[in-house]
Order: sequence, then structure tokens, then C-alpha cells
Amino acid sequence: MNNSVLWYTTRGAGAVSLVLLSAVVVLGILSVLRVQTTGWPRFLTVGLHRNLALMTLVFLTLHIVTAVVDPFTHLGWLAAVVPFSSYYRTFWLGLGTIAFELLLAIVLTSLVRGFIGQAAWRLLHWLTYAAWPFAVLHGVGTGTDAWSAWLFTLQAFCVIAVLAAIGYRFMTGSRDPLADARSSFQGAVDRREPR
Amino acid sequence: MSAPQLLAGPDPSRGSERRAEHVARLGPLPKGGHALIELLVRTGLTGRGGAGFPVGLKWRAVTTASHGSAVVIANGAEGEPHSRKDRLLMTSRPHLILDGAMLAAASVHAKQVVLYIGEEHHAAMRSMSGALTERTEHERRMVRIVAAPPRYVAGDSSATVHLVDAGIATPTTTPPSPRDRGVGGAATLVQNVETLAHVAVIARTGIATDTVLITVAGGVRAPGVFEVNVGTPLGDAVQLAGGASEPVRAVLVGGYFGQWVEPAEAWSLPLDPHALRARGLSLGCGVIGLVPASHCAVCEVAGIMRYLASESSAQCGPCFFGLRALADACTRIAERGTDPGDLQRLQRWSAEVQGRGACKHPDGVVMFLQSAMKTFGDDFAHHPAHIRRSA
Repeated sequence: MNNSVLWYTTRGAGAVSLVLLSAVVVLGILSVLRVQTTGWPRFLTVGLHRNLALMTLVFLTLHIVTAVVDPFTHLGWLAAVVPFSSYYRTFWLGLGTIAFELLLAIVLTSLVRGFIGQAAWRLLHWLTYAAWPFAVLHGVGTGTDAWSAWLFTLQAFCVIAVLAAIGYRFMTGSRDPLADARSSFQGAVDRREPR
Repeated sequence: MSAPQLLAGPDPSRGSERRAEHVARLGPLPKGGHALIELLVRTGLTGRGGAGFPVGLKWRAVTTASHGSAVVIANGAEGEPHSRKDRLLMTSRPHLILDGAMLAAASVHAKQVVLYIGEEHHAAMRSMSGALTERTEHERRMVRIVAAPPRYVAGDSSATVHLVDAGIATPTTTPPSPRDRGVGGAATLVQNVETLAHVAVIARTGIATDTVLITVAGGVRAPGVFEVNVGTPLGDAVQLAGGASEPVRAVLVGGYFGQWVEPAEAWSLPLDPHALRARGLSLGCGVIGLVPASHCAVCEVAGIMRYLASESSAQCGPCFFGLRALADACTRIAERGTDPGDLQRLQRWSAEVQGRGACKHPDGVVMFLQSAMKTFGDDFAHHPAHIRRSA
């Protein structure tokens, strides 16, 4: 394969990953806030959130694999796994490694949510708020054309969208949307002593 | 119909059969164990609680996972709104159920048996607890009665375990299945009470029972529970219930998690778990519901959808929000008339909800809705706006 193809793929997949990840974060926040309409009930937001998250992992894998196998970079597989072990842009690339590992943990714990329980899953899901900024900084610091107009616009758009969603969440609070219904149903089927 | 096997003996309406009469009629309790499990596998007996899982295979799995300390739960929650057969059996043949439960305990190496009975089924509760006082001291020490809340999902096998363990009858995520990790972490056999009664008969005769308990409900003259031979045409069971009280629009086979069938096709359907499965249907919990032609099918479906949505335990978003959205769309069509957008949404959202719950509640509801939209396709496509009648 032509080496420049690998290099372009790495950068392209990286940019796509950032857009997808930002969309996943925004959708996650919207679902927590019960944003819905008649034509778009909330459970569809959750479904899209999940599917885009899985798709993000696919593009991230593409991003990482093409970067590592690119013969020009000589990154090595260790750099993909151990943060700050890369000779090349050690700090910025390390942020990317951390972001990927956090996202992997978030997705894997979501897939086995039934086993680890709702509380543990929720706690781990908060890691998203660490993973996303790491991913953005990694893009800004490592990207060889981060300051080109189109990529800058893309990154700015992602940052503004996520910050707006976070700001909206801060303003409206973030109760578990199922909490009321769940506790009322549990109350109806709770037979613990004393009643 | 030919000879009943579960309801043989005194008229069930005379109430709880005493132990002496039960033993005089059927003989003493045979031994449970490996041979009985293999016999059940050979007879092909399937569960009568709804899922229709092969009984012998389930007992084998629990035995393998038991390590000598399994738990047996006799499930008499009967949360299916129109079903009456479990109650009839508990109030009239308690010792048949207890026999089945004791045989199960001996076979899967269980030291504890739980009778899980709907707390509003007062007569059943009285009958079962009365029967328990007539059993041996050893059995009385093994068995305890637990009252189940009157909700649809309370009969789910994981919910029965959750209530026994934690006092809350909500389903939990499977796997692990109760048969691997149930009450107190022990392998747990959750078996419907009718199924256990069949086991009590099979263990004595050594051959398969060939009857099923059917609840005939809705537009019939004399709704009730009937024990019919496996393979009896559905129409004959309706005749036992006095026949249809007025022209029939459709028949719901297998309860709320079952399928809608046009009358022309329904009357000849064999009431046989295996034969129905081969046709893509299910005997489920044995409820046969007739909807009269004078009722609006769409409004009936909308009412049932609202009920089923309200029975979500609100643990999983797709189930709670998804079923509510589906029920709302059905209700809009019922009240305001057909809207092409809503029809499309019903199709699309059904697919979105399926397989997204920790338990099978959303899947069962979606199956019900998809079957309704297939059978009542024209009604859904051309529903006029009108005030809904209560379902």
C-alpha cells in the first residue's frame, strides 16, 4: 500500500473519530436531559448514542492501526498502548493513548452493564468527560495540519457543540430520567420487611 | 373431551383436595432423581408459564449447576390478566403441585422449595398453605410460601429470584440465568405450577401427559379454565366455554405475549405447544382471548399496549420510554384516527426497542404489537377518529 495513503487515512480517521465522539457526547447529554419530541422519542437518542459510540471505536481503531503500521512513523505498538512512550510528540500522542483507553473502558463496561450494575456503570461513564478533552487536545497537539482552516473549523465546531451541551446540562440539572418511574414501580413491588 | 389428568377426581369447584383423597386416588409420591429427569426429556414436556422451555433440559441444567444445593421455585404468580388456570389448579389440586415441587427438589438436589403465589390470589394462598400443613414434617421444613406482587413482570423468573432474595419483584439482567445463579447464588429451578402438576402425574404413570390447561376469555358465553387434550382444535375449546357470544373479529392465542389470529384460521389450530410453535405461534400461558367483531380492534390493542407499557419496571430506558412511545402512538391512532407518520413510527420504533431490555418484557410487547399490526393491518390503516372505548 502507498505510504501516503496510510498517513492520510490516519489523519482522516482521526478527524472523523473526533466528530463522532463529540456527537456521542452531545447525544449522551441530550438523553440524560430527556430532550425529545413526538417524532423523536428519547429512546432513539439512546440508540443513536450507542451506535455512534461503537462506530467511533471502529474509526479510532483505523486511526491507530494505520498510524502504527505506517513505515514512516516507526511509532511501534507500544506507543499505542502505553501512554507517553512514543518518541514522536511524546506528550500529545500520549493524550491520545489515554483517551482511547478511557473510551475502550467506557464502551466495554457499557456492553456488560448488566454484570457490573447500574451504579458502577454510571461512575465509569463519567470518564467520558476526561476522555473527550484528552482526545481534543491530542488532535490539536499531534495533528500535523491542526491549524489548517478546515480542520480548525471542524475542531472548533466540535468543542463548541460539546461545551454548549455541557453548559445546558449544568443549567438544567441532570437527574436520572428514569429515577421517578423506577422508584415508583419498585415501591409497588417492594415486599421487604417491615413494609 | 377425554379424561382429564390434572383435574381428574373431585369437581375442582369443590375446592382444595385433601391429601388423603389425593393419595388414595393417585397413589404415593414416587421417587425423583436422574431417571425422572431423563423421563421428562423423553416425554418432551414443555413449561406452561409462557416461555415453553423443555422441562427435562431445564432440570438437567439446574442439576449440573447445583453442586448439591439448588432451590426450587413453584411459580404461581399468574400475573397474566386473563389467565385463571394456575389459580384453579392451586385452589383445587394443591398436592399435585406440591408433589411436582418435591419431585423437582429431589431431582435437582434442592434443599429449599419456594411457593411463589400471587398475593391477591387469596383462595390459592389458603389452599396451598392448608395443603402444606398436611405434608410430612421434612417437607414442611423445606417449603415456604412467598407472596408475589400483582404485577405483570413479577412472574418473570429473574423477578421471582429477586423477590425471594432482596424482597423486590423486579426482573434482573440475564445472564446469569436463575438456573445458573439464582436464590442466594444457588442454581434455581423456576417452574410454573401447572408444569409441576404435569410432572407429578408423569412420575407416577411413566408416560407423557396429553392435556393442557386453557383459559378461554373475552367474547364467549362461559369463560373459564378447561383441561383439553393436546391437539384439540381451538374451536372445540371455545365450544367448551359455551361458544362465541357474538361474531368474532380475531383470537389472541397465548396471552398478551402471544399472537393474533384471524377466526378462519384460529378454529382449526391444534392446542399443542409443539404444533403451534411449528406454525410460528405459541401456546404461551394457555390464554385464548376472543375479540368480538363489535369491538374496535385498534382500540383494544391500544388499551393493551398502554397496560403493558405501564408494566415496565422502568429499569431500562428503551423499555420504559420505547413502550410508552409505542403505546402513545397506538392511542393517537385510536383517538384521533390514522396518521401515516404514526404507522411508520410504530414499525420503526418496534424494531428499535427489540432486544434492548435486561429482561424480555419489551420483546414480548413488540411481538404482540407486530402481530396486531399484521392481523389488523387494514384497521390500523383506515382507523377513523373516535372517542376510545375502554379496553
